[in-house]
Amino acid sequence: MDIFFQLLLNGVVIGSYYILIALGLSIIFGVLDIPHFAHGSVAMFSGYIAYIVVSSYNANIFVAIIISIIFATIIGVILEIVAYRPVANAPPINSFIIALALMMVIDNVATVIFGSNQVSIKSSSNQVFNFGSVTLSEQRLYLLLTTFILVTGLYIFMKYSKTGKAIRAVSQNKEAAQIVGINTNRISSIVFGLGSAMAGAAGAFMGILFALYPAMGGHTVMKGFAVLILGGLGSFPGTIIGGLLIGITENFGVALLSSSYKDLFAFVILIIVLVFKPSGLFGNRGL
Amino acid sequence: MNKKRIILTLIILFSFVIPFLDIGSYNLHLVSYSLIWVILAQGLNVIQGFTGYVSIAQAGFFGIGAYSSAILSLNLGISVWLTIPLAIVISGIFGILIGYPALRTQGHYFAIVTMSFTMIIWVFMMSSVKFTGGEEGIPNIPSPSSVFGIDFSLKENYYYLILISVLITILFIYRLMQSRVGRAFITIRENEQLAQAVGISLLKYKMLSFTISAMLGGFAGALYVHYTHFVNPTPFTVDYSLNAILAVILGGSGTIIGPIIGAFIMIFLPEYLRIAEEYRLIIYAVMLILIVFYMPKGITNLIKIAYNKVLSKVARKSETKK
Repeated sequence: MDIFFQLLLNGVVIGSYYILIALGLSIIFGVLDIPHFAHGSVAMFSGYIAYIVVSSYNANIFVAIIISIIFATIIGVILEIVAYRPVANAPPINSFIIALALMMVIDNVATVIFGSNQVSIKSSSNQVFNFGSVTLSEQRLYLLLTTFILVTGLYIFMKYSKTGKAIRAVSQNKEAAQIVGINTNRISSIVFGLGSAMAGAAGAFMGILFALYPAMGGHTVMKGFAVLILGGLGSFPGTIIGGLLIGITENFGVALLSSSYKDLFAFVILIIVLVFKPSGLFGNRGL
Repeated sequence: MNKKRIILTLIILFSFVIPFLDIGSYNLHLVSYSLIWVILAQGLNVIQGFTGYVSIAQAGFFGIGAYSSAILSLNLGISVWLTIPLAIVISGIFGILIGYPALRTQGHYFAIVTMSFTMIIWVFMMSSVKFTGGEEGIPNIPSPSSVFGIDFSLKENYYYLILISVLITILFIYRLMQSRVGRAFITIRENEQLAQAVGISLLKYKMLSFTISAMLGGFAGALYVHYTHFVNPTPFTVDYSLNAILAVILGGSGTIIGPIIGAFIMIFLPEYLRIAEEYRLIIYAVMLILIVFYMPKGITNLIKIAYNKVLSKVARKSETKK
């Protein structure tokens, strides 16, 4: 039974990493209809920035996480303006190719700069909390807290702030939003900034809890899309439940079956759900 | 129309004499490999270009065809002349199995679901070692047996097998797109609701389109595996599916010439970028972005525009002479 709870907790931790990734993807995809394949690569690159900040300047990991978030936000806004905005009114396949090409650019630039070896961010303290026989490391707790804060913050922002309302308006009807005086270009940049900030946090935690390597971006974004579709596009509870479901299933699947099938579980669940409910678990448009 | 016929005949004649030209065995290999990719891309074009559903499963079907033909010919000792059609049938069956759940979704969703299937297929190729040899793959895959004294273990002779397969594929696609079925595909691409309103069964035609694309993917895979005599999971990752999509778009999706040009670009361009070494893929990706910005309808369209410009100039000159 202890193993059960330990696996469950580990699943929740991985799940909250997936939630961070998927939530950013979800607002970008949901509001702007861009399948941002480079999202995971932005997370990976910012993770490397956090790694450099810690390993070369001996910075505290919180400082590193914040720098990673800021870096990702800037990259996200730049990508939106330089690469996605020129094809905003073109057929959807164009943004699809741009997204794939950006993923290739960022992943390969990372390989050139950082090399293809795995690195991980060493933190100075390594406290472990015990709840009965279930253990939780300090860093994993930080991930849970960060996810909680960012998800709640984003939810409140989207629901109550004026900008958040404008974003939801664009998501529902871009032209109508323009007519009532919303600057859709500005909204696009804000959406990319917010979404990428989430990726920045995820990237830093990837380095702290696991390992960073250039190809990680591609793996991460595919899981992110699986979570996003599983939960239903643009649904906050859907993304959270989808992320937790995939995280937990992966952990139990690896423990019960084999680790060579680890990456399968997410996609098998995804396909099963889509067969019965093509719009995802909580599928309805609009945040 | 007549001019087009002449150009077409010349290109086909030229493709038949390529092995006699002194281009070196590596270049001949690249041409053969590109031709295999033409079949793969033509298949993808049926679902992506004509029906409007971007599928990321093409490399998966390429792999299913490759492994089916390899295992059937090597383990069961069936003649390669039979295993290639069998591989096409098996890929078609997988096309139906995958298409049924996947075609319930649309747009980017469809792309991501088909991507999931490619990943699942790939993980199975990697993990079921007993069946597929895992990462080490399957070596010593036989060549097709000799027919009329033509030895197909020679790359020059195998080239003709590939070339004839390509010509049959293109003829098939051409006939298909002129038929009722082909027009139904295009109607679905243009407007699904309208298609349904005029009595086109959406699921039936989308399934048909996806299955045809799967079968051609499998055909390409089977040809590939008896050409290289070796197969492992490397060429069947999601990346290769994406390359196939790019081949269709670069050439011009929804045209028959497009995937041919696109496939050759996808094979030759990375080869020529090898001088750039580690920057190769970065340059390649930036080129893709620029292509989407400046010529979103693909290279075929660009050639068409250039051709029309030259034509109108020639016409104007002959008019002033008069």
